[in-house]
Amino acid sequence: MRPLDWIVLITALVSMVLYGLYRGRGSNTVDRYLLAGKSMPWYAMALSIIATQASAVTFISTTGQSYVDGMRFVQAYFGLPIAMIVICATVVPIFHRARIYTAYEYLEQRFDSKTRTLASAIFLCQRGLSAGLTLYAPAIVLSVILGWPERTTTILMGTMVITYTVLGGIKAVTWSNVQQMYIIFLGLVVALVTVIMLMPASVSFGDAMFLAGAAGRLNAVTTHFDWNDRFNIWSGLIGSTFLFLSYFGCDQSQVQRYLTGRSIAQSRLSLLFTAVVKIPMQFFILFIGAMVFVFYLFVEPPVLFQRAELDRIRQVGAFQPMAEQYNQAFEHRRQAALALAEAHHARDSAAVGRRIAEYRAAQNEIDGARTQAAKLVERTGGEKDFSDTNYIFLSFVTSHLPAGIVGLIIAVIFAAAMSASSGEINSLATVTVVDLYRRYVRRTASDHHYLAASRWATLFWGVYAVTFAGWGSRLGSLIVAVNVVGSLFYGSLLGCFVLALAFRRVGGTATFIGMLAGEAAIFWAFLFTGMSYLWYNVIGCVAVVATALAITSLAPGAASTTPGMRQPG
Amino acid sequence: MPDEPPPFLGTWRRVYAAVLIILCLIIAACYLFTRAYQ
Repeated sequence: MRPLDWIVLITALVSMVLYGLYRGRGSNTVDRYLLAGKSMPWYAMALSIIATQASAVTFISTTGQSYVDGMRFVQAYFGLPIAMIVICATVVPIFHRARIYTAYEYLEQRFDSKTRTLASAIFLCQRGLSAGLTLYAPAIVLSVILGWPERTTTILMGTMVITYTVLGGIKAVTWSNVQQMYIIFLGLVVALVTVIMLMPASVSFGDAMFLAGAAGRLNAVTTHFDWNDRFNIWSGLIGSTFLFLSYFGCDQSQVQRYLTGRSIAQSRLSLLFTAVVKIPMQFFILFIGAMVFVFYLFVEPPVLFQRAELDRIRQVGAFQPMAEQYNQAFEHRRQAALALAEAHHARDSAAVGRRIAEYRAAQNEIDGARTQAAKLVERTGGEKDFSDTNYIFLSFVTSHLPAGIVGLIIAVIFAAAMSASSGEINSLATVTVVDLYRRYVRRTASDHHYLAASRWATLFWGVYAVTFAGWGSRLGSLIVAVNVVGSLFYGSLLGCFVLALAFRRVGGTATFIGMLAGEAAIFWAFLFTGMSYLWYNVIGCVAVVATALAITSLAPGAASTTPGMRQPG
Repeated sequence: MPDEPPPFLGTWRRVYAAVLIILCLIIAACYLFTRAYQ
């Protein structure tokens, strides 16, 4: 980090906090603090939804994933527009008319208090863990760049987020998210342009695309079906539809964004805008990772991108021969890539065929050397199943980008982390106060009391997220970890809401038991099968609905809706 | 709370249809992109 980078980074961070505080003024009632007085326009909600979903993990891990595995992760978003349409047509008008603060309040209106409480508890467990991971990702950034301990940087990040979230409530969160998304969009464009400009003069943009494609890095769509394959078009269209139905229909961190809308139409527009923008945005981020791969065809990358582990295994005797093998493999690949680009230029298809075989063989050599290095890390006491995927993009940014742009990219990562984290903390506090505290502890208190309770709950969840951030280092690729954690809980929540909206005969007890069965089914799939996590949502949802319907058929007593509970409009 | 019409295309059904068409186009574009550089 050079002085200009520090200036850019500090300016961006300070402006984010100050802007959040400025826009959060006047949040002096519970309604304004938690729902912004239902005054938000669609574009602010849309950018806030995208920002909350696109955490720092998105930039750090997705680019790395594209580098090692290609762009097929984009398929995990194919179900998003389908899910958004279903949510707009069903959930959005019901939630707006029910005049609720949280999605789980609706479950008490429809079923009973125990179903609401179980759903709230599931959300708090799942989102609480994710909030930790959201803060952990930028901590990696500073630990790589400055050598600061991850714990220290997590606390610093958490303090900044907590400051404007506690003081300004959801207005501060939403409007700061808007500003953060502008920084993110700017940073993404600058990153892509810069990586393309850093390519050797003899390699055109078309050559770069060709080389990335020949190495399997532009595999945006894979059509073969495999239950155990995480990302293909089928798991994307079916599995991710269920994931996003759960995420945007049952997860308070998203529901709360669109509940702030000034009308049903504004909320719908925000979700549909997100549906249209999200896939191209994810494609763009993955494409940056693919271009970083091409850049490293010509500039030798370190055998491992995580410097601390690399420095450690350098001391081991087995490292030197492995490093020599890696250097040779890199030179083979570089020569093969240049020869392939030349054959591509000359439009000599026979030569292209030969060169592609050499190029892929050289790529396999590189992959083999990297695998050996990762095994060496494990053998010498390092992390089990070691992966440096999360360090690839950061290593590239700090080693090769010019002054100022490094600061901007780091600001992007911070902006993403802060936007996601503030949304999570805000929603966790809302559920804690509305669904637990106001429901079970203090049923009748003044608006001022609940406002104070909301601020304290926000502070609590901020500290909780910082504490749990330490768990991130034990997980592999972070973006997948976040989605896996979510998928362990989302299926049951989705099943519960499906029952609430589509099966009027089913009562609270049947739904409650169904949710427990759904969780059992998901954990069985997680622990005893190698199934892709995108399918957990389908399994959980189906298990909840099937169990509740079976109970309703066999025990009609459980089918009745709890007396006195109001049916939704 | 009244259900307002969308600001374009007249009805929400048409807006949803437009979003689905965009999804189909995006998937088709991604597929062609993959095939072109495979």
